Amino acid sequence: MGEERRRSPPFRTSRWGSCSKRQTARTMLRFIFARLLQSLVALAIISVVVFTLARATGDPLYLILPMSASQEDFDNARRYLGLDRPYVEQYLSFVGRAVTGDFGNSLRARRPVSDLIRERLPNSLKLAVFAMGVSLAMAFPLGVMAAVRKGTGLDRFAQVVSVLGQSLPTFWVAILLVEFVAGRLQWLPAGGIQGFTSYILPGFTLGWFVVAGLMRLLRSGMLEVLDSEYVKLARVKGVGEGRVIWLHALKNALIPVITFAGIYFAILVTTAIVVETVFAWPGLGRLAYEGISSRDFPVIQAVVLTTAAIVAVINLCVDCLYALIDPRIRYAR
Amino acid sequence: MKRASAMAQVFLLILVLLGAMLGLAPAGDAWAQPKTELTVALSSFATEVLDPPLGGHLVKYYLSMIFDYLVGTTPDGQPSREGGLATRWESSPDYKRWTFHLRKGVKFHNGDELTSEDVKFSILRNIGKRSTTGYAGPLRTLIADIETPAPDRIVIVSKEPTLIFPTYLSRSLSTEGMIVPKKYVESVGDDAFARKPIGSGPYRFVEQVTGSHVKLAAVDNHWRIGTPKFKTMTFRLVPEETTRIALLRRGEVDVADVSRERVPELERESFPIHYRREESILTMWWILGPDGPVAPTKDKRVREALNLAIDRAEIAQSIFGGKAEPASVPLGLSWSFKDVGFKPTSEMVYPYDPARARKLLADAGVGSGFNLDIYAYQLPGLPEGKTLAEAVAGYWEKLGIKTRLIPVDYPAFRKAWVDRATPGAVGYFNIANRDWIGAYALLEKMAYTPAKGNATVNDPEIDAMIAQVMRQTDREKINTLVRGVYTRLRSEHYGVPVVYLHSPYATSKSLGKWNVGSVMYDLFFDVLASGK
Repeated sequence: MGEERRRSPPFRTSRWGSCSKRQTARTMLRFIFARLLQSLVALAIISVVVFTLARATGDPLYLILPMSASQEDFDNARRYLGLDRPYVEQYLSFVGRAVTGDFGNSLRARRPVSDLIRERLPNSLKLAVFAMGVSLAMAFPLGVMAAVRKGTGLDRFAQVVSVLGQSLPTFWVAILLVEFVAGRLQWLPAGGIQGFTSYILPGFTLGWFVVAGLMRLLRSGMLEVLDSEYVKLARVKGVGEGRVIWLHALKNALIPVITFAGIYFAILVTTAIVVETVFAWPGLGRLAYEGISSRDFPVIQAVVLTTAAIVAVINLCVDCLYALIDPRIRYAR
Repeated sequence: MKRASAMAQVFLLILVLLGAMLGLAPAGDAWAQPKTELTVALSSFATEVLDPPLGGHLVKYYLSMIFDYLVGTTPDGQPSREGGLATRWESSPDYKRWTFHLRKGVKFHNGDELTSEDVKFSILRNIGKRSTTGYAGPLRTLIADIETPAPDRIVIVSKEPTLIFPTYLSRSLSTEGMIVPKKYVESVGDDAFARKPIGSGPYRFVEQVTGSHVKLAAVDNHWRIGTPKFKTMTFRLVPEETTRIALLRRGEVDVADVSRERVPELERESFPIHYRREESILTMWWILGPDGPVAPTKDKRVREALNLAIDRAEIAQSIFGGKAEPASVPLGLSWSFKDVGFKPTSEMVYPYDPARARKLLADAGVGSGFNLDIYAYQLPGLPEGKTLAEAVAGYWEKLGIKTRLIPVDYPAFRKAWVDRATPGAVGYFNIANRDWIGAYALLEKMAYTPAKGNATVNDPEIDAMIAQVMRQTDREKINTLVRGVYTRLRSEHYGVPVVYLHSPYATSKSLGKWNVGSVMYDLFFDVLASGK
């Protein structure tokens, strides 16, 4: 897809220069509308899949009711929770309410699922923003400087960071940090949300993996760009090295990084189950885990749809950013 | 290079902005004053529902602080006239009318006075059809009427003579005896009540963040505990044990449930460990077929052989770190033994005797072995579940039995068990220990054929004894019958009792004495907080 975009036919290039701002805006709107439509179709398909798969895991009453529950208790609970209705009726009721933001009541917590998501989502977003900030702050200087000083000690150090970041399991890093940094050295809080310092360990654990990916992408992108003709020309024309690296080269190496960062931000928000469990962080990932382990259908459905919507929105933003940065993408649609 | 420094400034700015944004995150005021508050880290909050009929016994840890029970219970499980709303109770000679005299001057946290109307409303609500508590069903079947002749008196009328009301409505079992304010519940509705519960217990509800914590604040000079030692009590949900221990080391929590495996390490660091001794019995059984037991475990000799093949002492030591005791009576809830005067004899203890086990199998005609499925799953409070299944399978393999471990989650096993879908397959459970009434309730579900629910044992003699317990009002006769049930369960080898598990709780070094008690799913934090 990326290759296709880069090899857009030359006649399109001639149109870029002549298009007016109004045309550009119209094209962007058409592009956004098409993307939105695709996202809605995807969400509809996901709703069917998650509804079916959640029920395929079994009966939640075997977890909700005590060991001593009788058949009458089972029947009562099934009726009270609406699980005695036909599946089609349950699905239509779920979709009908979901479009208004009502995901029903949690079978386990007996509260509106939308309340639970409202409680948890901000925690996940804040942690993801922090983790992404840590990743960007570490990956940019390391990735760029590793490319600029290729083959030096700094480059090798960056490669070690990259290998460790991608190979060390998140749960292991998390446990290690809790055990030593929080428990033994007592430098930072071990878990829960208690202000800024409690973001550091989970944020670092989450961001560590992303650092490795971002840095490798930046390094390889920068290496390719630094070797290109226009960079050589800039140097020949006497442009300062700092300006060449951080302005001319970095800008063109950013496109894959933006895509990667966008996807990873969505992943950080929605799938930080291990980190949220280890650090006792009441986020969306833990809510999903609790929902799955207790077969809480409304929670599973709501969390999956919410995370799918988040991914769709982030992808849409990334696509728009792409289209803004690179007009070939906008017109290729 | 000027540009480079500009970029560096941008990154710094990003970090500063992040810090500023996250500064808006909820502050940890809940844990700011450890001297006046008790913080408890638990691995699970179960349902996290703060409403007695929906929370059930699994949330008694914190509900017992918010609500009072009709009948109190001492930490060692005995009915208490000091610990509940009823200061005394008596039955009519035919055991069909039970009168409870209520404590005067008790107020709910919103200032309303607690009366017999609240008690009646609460009991009916707790045993209603939406209730998911363990004993709502039997109470619903038994209760004919509830009368409120005076604000401080309530009469529960039974359809049958019974002794169970005081215990079933006490702190020793589930949450059916918890009292809520009628007016408040009726005015705000069930859902709003569950989100902002009001009780009459020694601690009032302050806040709940699901997946994070429940915070309570002490009521001044409550009749149960006097002037409280802790102004606030916070229950933090911390699923990962390493994190709970780190919080304990940092002094952020005062009590944490820990695994048996981590106890030696904590003891080396001088953290006090409090045990709930024999908190549960880990027992295995064979799933019945639609018409009862199936071959080959239908044969008593095979059942005995499977018991003799297991080295319980080795299991207690190697899998449970020595924090367990060998068990010898199937479904033998040991906290009830003293109530009914039952003491397992030395002959009842299963020796580890593989040679005799082989002989018994040969006598039963299955000396060359047979196929046996064993479900392997994790259970709350039993991380060692799958290891146990593997170990037992290993012992049975030595007899020539071809075992097959079926890894599933517990609900999948429970469905197969209740539906009798895989007759003869083996399952297990760490059954919470309880007093004689609780033990009777369990036996009625698991060993009484007409109950149909979770039938695990199918034996006409046991059925007859349990049926008599139901109708009996003479306590001595009840004790004899329950002793008879236990003896029969053991002599017929109806299951494989493995070990009694001790559950450890680590506390901060400054917490002091704490009687964790021996009541199902209750840790008596109010006794710990008591200023009396």
